[in-house]
Amino acid sequence: MSKVRITLLAVFAILIAAGSVFLGPRIISPFGISDTDWIILINIRLPRVLVAMLMGMALGASGALLQGILRNPLADPYILGISSGASLTAAIGIIGGMSFLGAFTIPALAFVGAVLTGGIVGGMGWKRGGLWPERLLLAGVGLSFLFSALLMLMMSVSTDEGLRRAMLWIFGDLSMSEWSRIPYGLAFVVTGLLLSATRAKALNALILGDEFAHSLGFAPQRERLVLFIAVGLMTAASVSLGGMIGFIGLLVPHIMRFFLGADSRLLIPASALGGGTLLCIADLISRSLLPPMELPAGVITAIIGAPYFLYLLRRKNVLAI
Amino acid sequence: MKRYLVSLLIIIGFCTSAVAVELEAPSARIISLAPSVTEILYALGLGDHIVGVTTFCDYPEEAKMKPKIGGMSNPSLEAVLSLKPDMVVLTTDGNPKEFEERLIELKVKTFVFHARRLSELPGGIRELGATLGVKNKADKLAREIESGISKLNKSPFVSHPSSIKKKVLFIVWPEPLMVAGPGTVIDDAIELLDCENIAGETKTTYPKYSIEEVIHRAPDVIFIGKSMGVDMRSVSEGVLSRMNSVPAIKSGKVFYVSDKLFRLGPRVVKGIEELAECLK
Repeated sequence: MSKVRITLLAVFAILIAAGSVFLGPRIISPFGISDTDWIILINIRLPRVLVAMLMGMALGASGALLQGILRNPLADPYILGISSGASLTAAIGIIGGMSFLGAFTIPALAFVGAVLTGGIVGGMGWKRGGLWPERLLLAGVGLSFLFSALLMLMMSVSTDEGLRRAMLWIFGDLSMSEWSRIPYGLAFVVTGLLLSATRAKALNALILGDEFAHSLGFAPQRERLVLFIAVGLMTAASVSLGGMIGFIGLLVPHIMRFFLGADSRLLIPASALGGGTLLCIADLISRSLLPPMELPAGVITAIIGAPYFLYLLRRKNVLAI
Repeated sequence: MKRYLVSLLIIIGFCTSAVAVELEAPSARIISLAPSVTEILYALGLGDHIVGVTTFCDYPEEAKMKPKIGGMSNPSLEAVLSLKPDMVVLTTDGNPKEFEERLIELKVKTFVFHARRLSELPGGIRELGATLGVKNKADKLAREIESGISKLNKSPFVSHPSSIKKKVLFIVWPEPLMVAGPGTVIDDAIELLDCENIAGETKTTYPKYSIEEVIHRAPDVIFIGKSMGVDMRSVSEGVLSRMNSVPAIKSGKVFYVSDKLFRLGPRVVKGIEELAECLK
């Protein structure tokens, strides 16, 4: 039954992705593509839809993973401070107008910031030969505050235009998606997804407690480290691809739990597919609503996602992690 | 103690405002809260009377040496008051309305520079000059700008033989793509030069613009404005490569221009001339 549902979800995700390539402020008919349409389709929309899918998948899956690792329903990929670290380094690049790697500068800076922060959080959460959920969570929240404060500090002394540029990037911007970003995004997200898929059983056990996991033959600390690395890779890749997109990492796993239950083996791929689909739809809306202007996709994900989540909350039984 | 300080401040405020009523040019202490205003004040020969500017006031060179009172959107009230201004000049564009209200509460004399469009600039300068007691100089500067504008409007390259207007896009920042929309001096300049701003009908002044739409609307000329301390060529490489099918890029009509048009000040005519030169 669940297999059917997840297959349906996958089909739905592919349909949405394929559809949103043709839809937009100007609908491109697949049966009469002009030269200009072709350029837009290949150079602009296709990479954009792919980036939206990758980002959404990374966020959805890492949300499901983190809620399990930290045994906390409020966990999301941004709670570990990874995104604040990435935003800080990216904003330094944007406001400072850095361009040492051309168009790659800001994504590269964001990725470095994300990985460094992930490393620091991991280091702080490490004690007696392992990662401890509470320590991870608190270290993440602490660092996140520090980095947000530094970001605010920097923004408050920057020019108004620099500020606006940085804000637009931080609020999630998919308009810069291009082919050159896909390979590394794909590499990190797929690695993260594979790592988490192979460890899904272990995650199920970890959710029930370290002793329980141990008795089932899993080494809790090692499993947690692997899962943490998977989260770090996926979150870093997603922030670097398009900035911060809220809501997906926190609520998509919960929405999927309503439908499919809490088994991580299903929940991780389902959250990934759900996240990707939602971001695709949100990006479609954000570029079609007020053409030729573009709205930040992160705002749309929350505006359409949050009411749906609240509706489900009223209708269905809340499931534990 | 605090109360004494506050009342002291209020008394100082009263004293300075009493001076401000007459505002005889020699005794005036002026604070400018916008780079454009600073430029105008210098052009009116009031440079020596400026006692405070924002951190963004970088033209002319001397402006950099003036005491700073903070940014445009977040000026420091304390810094302004401590400079004992006879007059604080604000703009409607960049300064918060609340700041003006606070100044008025504290009995500091203010002048709000309302002009936002090219056509309003001469009038704004005259009004400012009249308030600051340099009516003649202001009138001269305003006339210079007016004649500069009308000269540009009449220049031969502006009138095309055919009625087809050149389509222009002015990029303010490449990633994410932000362009000059309606209600900006840049839009006015493009119109003055008898060209069409392809982002002329968006809802905001500096919209985040869709690259798809740029490709569709196929601009003939692309301008990229300079940002302070940034190498615009390398920053805009990526975005230009993704819209390389438009006529402007194919025919090499991509121009990197100065930031003169970002400020509605005395250099604005020079800024338009720069565009005109590229359009020839």
